[in-house]
Amino acid sequence: MAVVPKIILTIGFFSIFHAALSAVQHRSYLRINELQFTRLPTDIIVQTLISLVIIMYGVLNVAGDFKVIKASAGLDNKSWETFRNITSFYTFSHRGRSIAVDYES
Amino acid sequence: MSAKSKQVTSVAYSESAIRNNLSIVEYCRTSMAALSGCTAGILGLTSLYGALFFVCATITVWLMFLYKAGFSNWNKYFISRKSLLTSGFYGQLFTYILCWTFIYGMVHVY
Repeated sequence: MAVVPKIILTIGFFSIFHAALSAVQHRSYLRINELQFTRLPTDIIVQTLISLVIIMYGVLNVAGDFKVIKASAGLDNKSWETFRNITSFYTFSHRGRSIAVDYES
Repeated sequence: MSAKSKQVTSVAYSESAIRNNLSIVEYCRTSMAALSGCTAGILGLTSLYGALFFVCATITVWLMFLYKAGFSNWNKYFISRKSLLTSGFYGQLFTYILCWTFIYGMVHVY
C-alpha cells in the first residue's frame, strides 16, 4: 500500500482538527465579547470544506483498488492453445501404444 | 417466441471481485458519513441545511467513485451505477447524524 495517500489523509485530519479548534476559538471570542453568533468566518468554512475533500480523496485511495468484475477478465487475450495446456493431463504412455502399427521401439 | 426476439446476453461475474469492490465502497461511504458529519458539526449547520449537506456529500462521494473507476468504463467494476448512489443511504444517515450532533455539541455548545 502506498504511503502517499496515508500522508494526504494525515494532512487532511490535521487540517480539519485545526479548523475545529479555530471554530471553538471563534465561539469563545464571541462569548467573551458578548457578541451574537451569525456565521463562522469564511476562512474557517473554506478550510473545513477543503480538508473534507482532501480526507475523502485520501480515504478513497487508502481503501484499495477496484477489481474487474467480469469472471473472464484475465482470460480474454489468451489463445485456446495456451488455455488448454494443462500439465496434469499430459499423457506419456498411452495404452494404445501396444496396438499402434507405426510406433517405434 | 423466436430466439431472435429474446436475446439475453448473460455475463458471468466474479463473486469475489464484486464483494471486494462493494467492501471498498462500504468502507469509503461509512468514513464519508462520519467525516461529513464532523464537518457539518464544525460548520454549525442546523436543521435542513445539515440534511442538504449530507445529500451533497453523498453525491460527491458517488462522483469520486465514478472518477476512480473511470467515467466511461465504470461498468467494468460495478453492475449498477444507481445502487452505488442509493445503497445504505439511511444507515449512513444515522452515522452522519451521530457525528454531526456530537461535533456540533463539542464545538458550538460547550
